[in-house]
Amino acid sequence: MNTVQIDTGRLTDIGYDSCIASCGNFMVLDHTVMESRCHIEGLVVLPLKQAFDAYPHVREKLFFNVVSRETSETTLQAAGMEPVGYYVFVEPGVRIEEPLQAAFLFGETGSRQFIHNIIELGEGAELNIVNGCTTATHGRSGTHVGITETYLGKNAHLGYTMIHNWGHAMEVFPVGAVSVGEGARYISNYVGMTEVRKIVTNPIAHVASGGSARFYSVIFSKGNSYFDTGARVILKGENASGEIISRVVSEGGTVVSRQLLSGEQAGTFGHMECSGLLLNENGVIHSIPELKGAHPDINLAHEAAVGKISREELSYLMTRGLTEEQARSLIIRGFLDIKIEGLPEKVQSFMNEIINRSVEGSI
Amino acid sequence: MSFLQITDLHVSVEGKEILKGIDLSLDMGRTAIIFGPNGSGKSTLMGAILGLPGYEITQGSITFKDHDISRLSVDERSRLGIGLSFQYPPSIKGVRLRTLLQTLNRHTPEKIAEYAQLLNLTGYLDRDINVGFSGGERKRSEVLQLMIQMPDLLLLDEPESGVDIENISVIAEGLRIILEKDQPISKRKRSAIIITHTGFILDYIKADIAFVIMNGHVLGCGAPGEIFEEIRRDGYNKCSSCFAEKFCEENKGAL
Repeated sequence: MNTVQIDTGRLTDIGYDSCIASCGNFMVLDHTVMESRCHIEGLVVLPLKQAFDAYPHVREKLFFNVVSRETSETTLQAAGMEPVGYYVFVEPGVRIEEPLQAAFLFGETGSRQFIHNIIELGEGAELNIVNGCTTATHGRSGTHVGITETYLGKNAHLGYTMIHNWGHAMEVFPVGAVSVGEGARYISNYVGMTEVRKIVTNPIAHVASGGSARFYSVIFSKGNSYFDTGARVILKGENASGEIISRVVSEGGTVVSRQLLSGEQAGTFGHMECSGLLLNENGVIHSIPELKGAHPDINLAHEAAVGKISREELSYLMTRGLTEEQARSLIIRGFLDIKIEGLPEKVQSFMNEIINRSVEGSI
Repeated sequence: MSFLQITDLHVSVEGKEILKGIDLSLDMGRTAIIFGPNGSGKSTLMGAILGLPGYEITQGSITFKDHDISRLSVDERSRLGIGLSFQYPPSIKGVRLRTLLQTLNRHTPEKIAEYAQLLNLTGYLDRDINVGFSGGERKRSEVLQLMIQMPDLLLLDEPESGVDIENISVIAEGLRIILEKDQPISKRKRSAIIITHTGFILDYIKADIAFVIMNGHVLGCGAPGEIFEEIRRDGYNKCSSCFAEKFCEENKGAL
């Protein structure tokens, strides 16, 4: 019996609200599945352990497949644990508009939480998932390891949004890998807006012919946070495409932002944009964009910039009557406002709301 | 006391004195033109009135609506009712034009749409401010922002430069709305100071008075049309013949 009290405000902060229309809900507290519901035909939402029994191929073919057990010390440790997490499956041809909500709560101070999720979309299926991770109440310390393996069938489409709202004493190691099938589209959004001791994550997408993988991340680094984040897109099939856009605002801590675009076949193309904004002298942003071409007929490009808010832009906005604080807030919110094509309005506006709230709280 | 009263104003930019004792006043509801060769201090005067960074007032005062604004910050002056159309407005990546307009005045979404349409900027509202805008589009965006801001004193630094003839009338229409040019002069509440090189804007907006600035001093004032003609004909050095102090007093602007 888990006796940790959950602060429902923290659930709202990561987009988890049972009252909001969704196609399903899934919630884990520490290592206990608290909620697992599915409201739509053609969609399966199950605790992973149950899925192993109901769908044998999940254990045999999808579990520790696109993510290797040997990826890191933490994945090796995770492989030795009983898996806790979800299995989500959308039947071929089923397109689901309402997002699936998932929340992973950390409650037991000093412990290590291991999560393992598997997502499988059949041919032509469509789904959006909003994942939120937070501590059940403020001030918990510990370690969270979250493995997510994603398999997209031909022409499938997944929007995968991850909101992190950890406490400042947490260490977090998400490990993600995606197999993007022919003509399939994968969109990942990552939002990290709170102080955290350490987050290390560098998800990878393997993209087949005509498929696309796009990673967007928005990070507001505060206090003594340490982020080592990034994304890797490996364009394995002809005409596969990738995009990685990273925006980092720092008022403290260190952010290492690694991106890799690799074109291995003819007609592959990709674009990368890494921008960092330093609000003061307390923070460090280390941007590492990498391009790798293994075929002459590819088109990969990147742009990267790290700097401060321009005095000229501030003054310009202030001539319109905004105070310096309002002007700074407008510029920072604008900097973090990534317009993501293909993301449902509901998810986009929720992300904007979280970003706005965080910026207002900081300035 | 005038609406705007500038007295013995000295202003330095990067340690170099540009304005060397400007005296100028303007009444409510009046539109003044400032003529002067390049480098004479026209834009510096506007920067100093609004309090832009880099324009250091070393002597003298600026009084606006009975407030000495010489030491106020740029946003405080703006909130008192001073607005500027920049000659070279910057681009602001990430901040949409609509977001700024809504921040300036949250109660007028209809007005934003109406004015954007007037200025042919409807399709630009959800673009980042001035990013990828042509010179003319930037100038229209400036006027749109000012229409939402509705300042009592409008500072227009070359509002028509880079704008094609067709769009000058569009810009002028926006400025006429701000300046209530359809009202009799006695009922107008807003004033303007306009810098223009070409004088094209004068075909659309009637100015009440003109000042000529050279080498950081106001040389004189008079009727805008006459001064403009004389400058065009004989250059700045000989334009003193058309200065008319009496005209200036009657038109509520003075040295």
